[in-house]
Amino acid sequence: MRRVGGMVWLAWLIAGPTAWAAAFSVAYGLHGLGCELGWPALSLGPVSLQRVAIALPSLAAILLCLVLLARVSTALGPEAGIPRLGLWIGLVATLYTMAPVLVATSC
Amino acid sequence: MSPPDMTAIPANPPRRALPLHRELDRVWRNGPGLWGQVTSVSHTTLGLRFMATAFVFFGIGGLLSMLIRAQLATPNSAFLDTALYNQIFTMHGSIMMFLFAIPMLEGLAMYLLPKMLGTRDLAFPRLSALGYWCYLLGGSILITALLAGVAPADGWFMYTPLSGKTYSPGINADVWLLGVTFVEISALAAAIELMVSILRLRAPGMTLTQMPLFAWYILGTAAMMLAGFPPLILGSVLLEMERAFGWPFFDPERGGDPLLWQHLFWLFGHPEVYIIFLPAAGVLSTVIPVLCRTKIVGYGAIVAAILGMVFLSFGLWVHHMFTVGIPHLALAFFSAASMLVAVPTAVQIFAWIGTMWRGRPELKLPMLYILGFFFTFVMGGLTGVMLAVVPFNWQAHDTAFVTAHLHYVLIGGFVFPMLAGVAWWMPLMSGRRRIKGLGEAAFWLILIGFHGTFFLMHLTGLMGMPRRIPTYADNPEWMGLNLSSSFFGFVMTIGFALFAIDLILQAGFGKRSVRDPWQAPSLDWAMALPPPNYNFASLPGVELQQAGAAGAMLKLARGEGFLPGAPRGRREILVTSVGAARPQHVALLPFNTALPLVLALAICAFVLLMLAGFYAVAPVALIPVVGLIWAWARRAVAAVDAAPVEIAPGQFLPVHPEGGATLTQSGLTGLLFANGTFLASLLFGLAFISLVSPGPPRPVWHADGTVLLAAAAVVALLAAGALGARWALARVEAARPAGAVLIGAVIVNLLALAGLAALAFWLPAPTRHAGDAVRAALVAYVGLHIAIATLFSAFALDQARRGELTPASPGALRNWGLWQRYTLAAAALAMAALWAQEAGA
Ligand code: HEM
Ligand SMILES: [Cu+2]
Repeated sequence: MRRVGGMVWLAWLIAGPTAWAAAFSVAYGLHGLGCELGWPALSLGPVSLQRVAIALPSLAAILLCLVLLARVSTALGPEAGIPRLGLWIGLVATLYTMAPVLVATSC
Repeated sequence: MSPPDMTAIPANPPRRALPLHRELDRVWRNGPGLWGQVTSVSHTTLGLRFMATAFVFFGIGGLLSMLIRAQLATPNSAFLDTALYNQIFTMHGSIMMFLFAIPMLEGLAMYLLPKMLGTRDLAFPRLSALGYWCYLLGGSILITALLAGVAPADGWFMYTPLSGKTYSPGINADVWLLGVTFVEISALAAAIELMVSILRLRAPGMTLTQMPLFAWYILGTAAMMLAGFPPLILGSVLLEMERAFGWPFFDPERGGDPLLWQHLFWLFGHPEVYIIFLPAAGVLSTVIPVLCRTKIVGYGAIVAAILGMVFLSFGLWVHHMFTVGIPHLALAFFSAASMLVAVPTAVQIFAWIGTMWRGRPELKLPMLYILGFFFTFVMGGLTGVMLAVVPFNWQAHDTAFVTAHLHYVLIGGFVFPMLAGVAWWMPLMSGRRRIKGLGEAAFWLILIGFHGTFFLMHLTGLMGMPRRIPTYADNPEWMGLNLSSSFFGFVMTIGFALFAIDLILQAGFGKRSVRDPWQAPSLDWAMALPPPNYNFASLPGVELQQAGAAGAMLKLARGEGFLPGAPRGRREILVTSVGAARPQHVALLPFNTALPLVLALAICAFVLLMLAGFYAVAPVALIPVVGLIWAWARRAVAAVDAAPVEIAPGQFLPVHPEGGATLTQSGLTGLLFANGTFLASLLFGLAFISLVSPGPPRPVWHADGTVLLAAAAVVALLAAGALGARWALARVEAARPAGAVLIGAVIVNLLALAGLAALAFWLPAPTRHAGDAVRAALVAYVGLHIAIATLFSAFALDQARRGELTPASPGALRNWGLWQRYTLAAAALAMAALWAQEAGA
């Protein structure tokens, strides 16, 4: 925190969980929307449009967490410890809560 | 002036402590007598009062639970009839959650945080007082209704359609909706000021990663409250609108959906469990290391665990709705998140166990309660895991098993830690020592009574006994267990009574306690007992923060820290930067005032008029509310003498921030965050009713050109308003007059309001269909915001007229700009949502 401002540090701290929260809400929303609009029936190659739509935001969140994890040390230096844990939380939470997309029936 | 470097600042020279105390006390103390209590804005007074009031409500809620247990002791008791029984368990649950648990943690946090962070008060003292009065008045409304026999009777989660007008025709449900919402003003107020105080009022040099863990827990709690309470408030407002005006949000016959209520309620209700748990965990993390004579294990891991809990607990709400027929995939999401949140909780628990392992635990009274916590909470966790398994949930749903589980979690996870905390901080709060023996006896009675009562309820639940029933004539085999459970309930009550007696005896007759009786490291003990309103005669720098309470106490009292005394007769504190806590400026806090009470009374008048069904006159009651808020803002201390203040020899700080945000700006940002969640929940409602709700479709309605034009005009006008705010600020900063721009802004806002009114006029009646009702709610939301923006711009205009806008302190301009931009964004979003709703139909 000596190097970066407090608000910047806090933003890094919550970045991971925020990415998870965003992916989770968007996936939940798209799930409802897709069920209404009949997306599970539309296939996009081997999988349904529904699964793709739900999985995409999670993939984006996972990528974001990975990119930020790669950068956090250079950005925050000695203060990177707890924000790094935050990014791991975001990554693991997204992987874990979104895994059912791959298996469960949709609507 | 560049921010001073903490290490370079020389300490102030020592002075005599007593004259310093007198000087500060004159400025900070409460007025004499009862009036002095009424006008107090001190966090110490109000924190204590919050806790004392919460204990009184705990007593009332406890009394009700005794009535419940008396009724259930035998299968066919004629003691309470069904209608009364419904009121009693509903009030028991609602009182315990809204009038005991939340206010209790707010009170504790209010009382302790400024002391732990090394400052003299919270960021918005008048807001603490306003919150208290709203709490007291709202709570009194609920209790009065109970005594009058018209208490809410639909269960503490007030499911629709039971709580709708058809099945609850009386005012009982309105009492809940209006009363609880009134009380929640205090929760939002507390959340905002705790958050701003933690981020901006820490003693110089106390970085975020060095502040006491308790502050991290409360930061997490405050953030959760800002995100969690808005859905509840929205749900209550919508249901009240349905009951009062027939807007059918939850009425399936007109396209509404009762499940929308369940979503909104549990969107609040599950995070609520963590809102309650986090401060309790904060107490544990504070007390355990000191009683084990060591340091906490894993500071960073605990902060990360808090972070995880704060976020993950918002992804679980649907697990309260596993039985309502939600699509499998969605169930799987929420089930996964429910299991995941166990990980940070486990990290927590292992950190405590590790700490106890490393140190030498001393079996003092607070430690007994901590052990009680471990034992009870772990069992509650186990039954929680059982309930998280969907098939088991289907079996145990709505039985006494759930009642048992929730009390293991709430009493184990909240009440025991709070009792530990009270026992711990009692010497600070009362300045006196405990009478030996009583507290221990109370502990054992509570522990044995608790497990006797609730362990047995697991069994009755598994035998199939539903919750919320007053009699069970067909199942006499349940009686033995129920009778024992009731017996132990009374044992527990005796224990709580003894605890209360112990507190009263200690406060009234205990021997004077030495300072810092626990040899604690944190600043909350580095002061006289009981603490004076100003807490510290001078504010600790890094060195004194690390000296431990014993090492810092005398030096602080002698004025060797920053900003000693009150030589200017003002209530001065230091505002520091968010991360490294570099001193930025000196803030002047308000003096004692009755304004918060008067404002709370005005709001109460509005609530009572709504309750009485005088909907036509109720809005009139808002006029005094607006006037009082205006007066409140006007009376915010304007520094007449704005000369820089010397906080240490040769180190001066300005009274107005240079560049950085004022405290009010930070507070407004917090409010807008909560407001944003409110809007997001409303948009969720709109999407839910349009997409998921099974009812009849909304009758078609063709938005014609006029409507589109009105919508576009509103957004364009608001954009002009936002630009106007920018422009006015730029002119004031360049020391040029801004009056004309401000007049323009007021007019633009009024025009936007007129445009919106025209739009509302063209829309179909909100009573026609739930889709029309949410749309009207959205329009009303935008209208309210434009109205406030208008008042804001008028306020700035008034300031310009009085010549109060200066480049150093541009009055309300920045805050108004923030509000104006938010209003613009909200209006644009709302109009887009309305358009999408039409396009989808
Ligand atoms: C003082 C000891 C307590 C006893 C003996 C007790 C007893 C009970 C009983 C027997 C019920 C079930 C009523 C029924 O389903 O028919 C109940 C419900 C409930 N209790 Fe307690 N309770 C106590 C303390 C608490 C505390 C401290 C809290 C919260 C912090 C709490 C929160 C609740 C809630 C939320 C319900 C559910 C109400 C509803 O079904 O709407 N209780 N309590
Ligand atoms: Cu839950």
